[in-house]
Amino acid sequence: MDLGLFAQLTVSGVVIGMTYALLGVSFGVIYATTKIFHLAHAVPYATAAYAAVWASERLGLGLGLACLVGLVAGTVAGLAIEFFAYRPMVGRNATLLTIFLVSLGISVAFPNLLQIGFGPDNKNLPGFQNRTYELGSITLSRHDILSVVVSGFLILAVVLFVDRTRFGRSITAMRTNPTMAAAVGIDRKSVYLLVLGIGSMLVSVAGLLFTLQGVASPTMGLAPVLTAFIAAFLGGIGSLRGAALGGLLLGLVSSWSALFLAVDYGPVVVFGAMFVVLLVRPQGLLGKEAV
Amino acid sequence: MSYAADVGITVLIYVMLGVSLNLLVGYTGRVSMAHAIFFGIGGFTAARLTLPPADPAAASSYATVVSGFGWNWLPALAVAAAVAFLGALLISLPAVRLVRGEYLILLTLAFQLLANQLMGLLDWVTGGPYGLSGIPPVELFGWSLRAPERMFGLMLVATAIVVAICWRLGESPFGRLLKGIREHDSAVSSVGKNPVVPELLAFGISAAIAGGVGALAAFYYGSVVPGNYTLDVSILIVSIVVLGGAGNITGTVVAAVVLGLLDPILRRTFGDSAIPWQAVIYGAALVLMMRLRPGGLLPEGAGITRLLPRRQRRAGEHRTPEEALARLARVTKTETAEAETVVEVVGLQKSFGGLTAVNGATFALPAGKVTALIGPNGAGKTTIFNMICGTIPVDAGRVFLRGQDVTGSPAHALVRLGLARSFQDVRVAQRLTALDNVAMAVPGQAGEHIVQLALRPWRVRRQEAATRDRALDCLALLGMAEKAYLLAGDLSYGDQKLIAIARLIATDCDVLLLDEPTSGVDPASVERVVDGIGRLRDLGRTVCLVEHSVHFVQRLADRAVFLDQGAVVAEGTVDELMQSRELADLYFGT
Repeated sequence: MDLGLFAQLTVSGVVIGMTYALLGVSFGVIYATTKIFHLAHAVPYATAAYAAVWASERLGLGLGLACLVGLVAGTVAGLAIEFFAYRPMVGRNATLLTIFLVSLGISVAFPNLLQIGFGPDNKNLPGFQNRTYELGSITLSRHDILSVVVSGFLILAVVLFVDRTRFGRSITAMRTNPTMAAAVGIDRKSVYLLVLGIGSMLVSVAGLLFTLQGVASPTMGLAPVLTAFIAAFLGGIGSLRGAALGGLLLGLVSSWSALFLAVDYGPVVVFGAMFVVLLVRPQGLLGKEAV
Repeated sequence: MSYAADVGITVLIYVMLGVSLNLLVGYTGRVSMAHAIFFGIGGFTAARLTLPPADPAAASSYATVVSGFGWNWLPALAVAAAVAFLGALLISLPAVRLVRGEYLILLTLAFQLLANQLMGLLDWVTGGPYGLSGIPPVELFGWSLRAPERMFGLMLVATAIVVAICWRLGESPFGRLLKGIREHDSAVSSVGKNPVVPELLAFGISAAIAGGVGALAAFYYGSVVPGNYTLDVSILIVSIVVLGGAGNITGTVVAAVVLGLLDPILRRTFGDSAIPWQAVIYGAALVLMMRLRPGGLLPEGAGITRLLPRRQRRAGEHRTPEEALARLARVTKTETAEAETVVEVVGLQKSFGGLTAVNGATFALPAGKVTALIGPNGAGKTTIFNMICGTIPVDAGRVFLRGQDVTGSPAHALVRLGLARSFQDVRVAQRLTALDNVAMAVPGQAGEHIVQLALRPWRVRRQEAATRDRALDCLALLGMAEKAYLLAGDLSYGDQKLIAIARLIATDCDVLLLDEPTSGVDPASVERVVDGIGRLRDLGRTVCLVEHSVHFVQRLADRAVFLDQGAVVAEGTVDELMQSRELADLYFGT
């Protein structure tokens, strides 16, 4: 085996894996508490990217401010979904399946609305100066470093927030025992809003990181959201560390698969891994509770 | 004309895909996001089988890829359906292994994406991203059905067949079993039915139909490309099912026609710029429907089928418990002689961690008597009960049923030997009528086997009439005849407990174990439950129950087994036991 190639793939795997970990945590924090199979998680992802492009094109804002606009817009989009779509359903004791179907409806309609509003073409977010660095046989770009640092920082921040703060502990309480949490005065609605806010903010960041180097397109949210699902379920529902680990592993595995398989098989390996884990260990790698 | 026929064919494809998925999503309650894959598997299989074999003279690298086997269309269609059937068994295995709800959605989602990706990659099978083309059209009586007008006729016939199959399966005893599995698969096995096989068949048949439709579509369009079998298609089909109404075939047909016509109507009216609006409209429809009418346009049981029960309901109203008792007593065979021992429990032991829950419990259930297990909280009553039913394994000791060792036998095996149980939390199928809940428990129904359904329709129909009559008797015995056609979920908890007891009677088992039959029931209904248990004795059944209320035990039970700290302290009539100062103190605490 070519060690240089292996090292390069490992580094790229970590870079992709950290983004996957961010996605996994962004979904995991929502799903663990609400149990909503939030397919519409793609909405804040794409909203953040489109809002940043819009702010940059139409308002002429600099890259930093445009990203801030994107971050706010994405978070608001996530909160809006909770407020207008999920909350009335949860209040009426709808089954999780009907809420999933609402989420499905939103995620079907939204990319097409983007296409109607902004056209089907890819959009660029200009202004990011990418540069590559050579470290021996390994190549790294500024974008790679930025992704790893931002993702790592945010994951750590959210884990600390959930573990150490009062708000965070109310999330854990609501996740582990909703009835008891409600009995001691924790408001379900505010906790839901909180987790949707955190999750949507994280996924917005992921959307912006992607757009810095790639392009925004109406259907851009679907693939990353599925990655987020897989990372979260792989690691084990209820464990944010598990979701992060799941994402990282997913990145490494898909990157390493290039050693043995054509690059096109990357997604096949990802979904195959998910399939096997669901078969063999449905509670996830770090999950404890049974399905 | 051609255009209309072409649109018509698209609509019919949606109808067939929707109706077949409804069997799985609506009736069996398993959401699959991968229906398009089976549609595609059928398409590619049929394409490869019907394409002409490679011509060595004109061999080029391209021609070898698209070479086939030159089969006739009909056998190719059959094989396409069979391949899809086998593919579905693959993804249904984890579903049977208790992968449910969101996990199943995720699993099928992963399968959809994995398989669609593979369709583009495995170019030696599928021709790669550009797929296979040049598939010959259907030849029928020397006619080539390439033109839409001609193909439309065949598609119409196919749709009629598919709708008829799904209707037949869904509205038969087999469909009733599927709905039972959807609600509580443990309840299905508690009445002696194997829940695994019907579920596997639902996955398989649903996929096989999609595969067959995929083959027909391949013959019509002449080409198959992976881009036709994407997640979007799967989502559209799921939307058709839930918008029309899960568990309602008519609803699916209506929704498929509406959604199928949406695209051409929008296109003709507004031009190609309207394409994205189609998805916006059905996405929004999904959100609104789930919000306002979660059962879909035509919820389960609505429509044509709702008209029928009204006629039958009158038949139910006149049945008194006495009439039912007379008929049921004739049907039921109680072979065991008076005062013989039916169940023997010998030296049962069970520890949970360091705690000994049951410590050498030994007692017997005499035939035709009601025996109550009583004792203070933590005496091990429920644990013993669960060990007799085989739901928790024993550490030591034996359970004998008519002398046969049945220790640790699974629930459905015990039912075959004549022992059935009820659950404390009833586990009655909420979205089935009281009658269907009970009918599901009647043993030996030919209509629960799909081969019999297909080959012996008259026998199935005759037997189904008898099954429903018998189920109605079981309900009438408990004074529930007039509620037979109401949904169990709409009835009170007490009524549901009675349905659960009627379900036990319908199993024909002569040993019935009741787990806290009056817990959670309002005082007025408790009387009816107690009367109902009395009827079981009238039928000559052997009953064992776990019950907390001494008052009801006194009224119900011929005998009581008093347990404390996992062992039998005393046995006898309830009055005898309760007169003992010592036991009363133990029971009520001092």
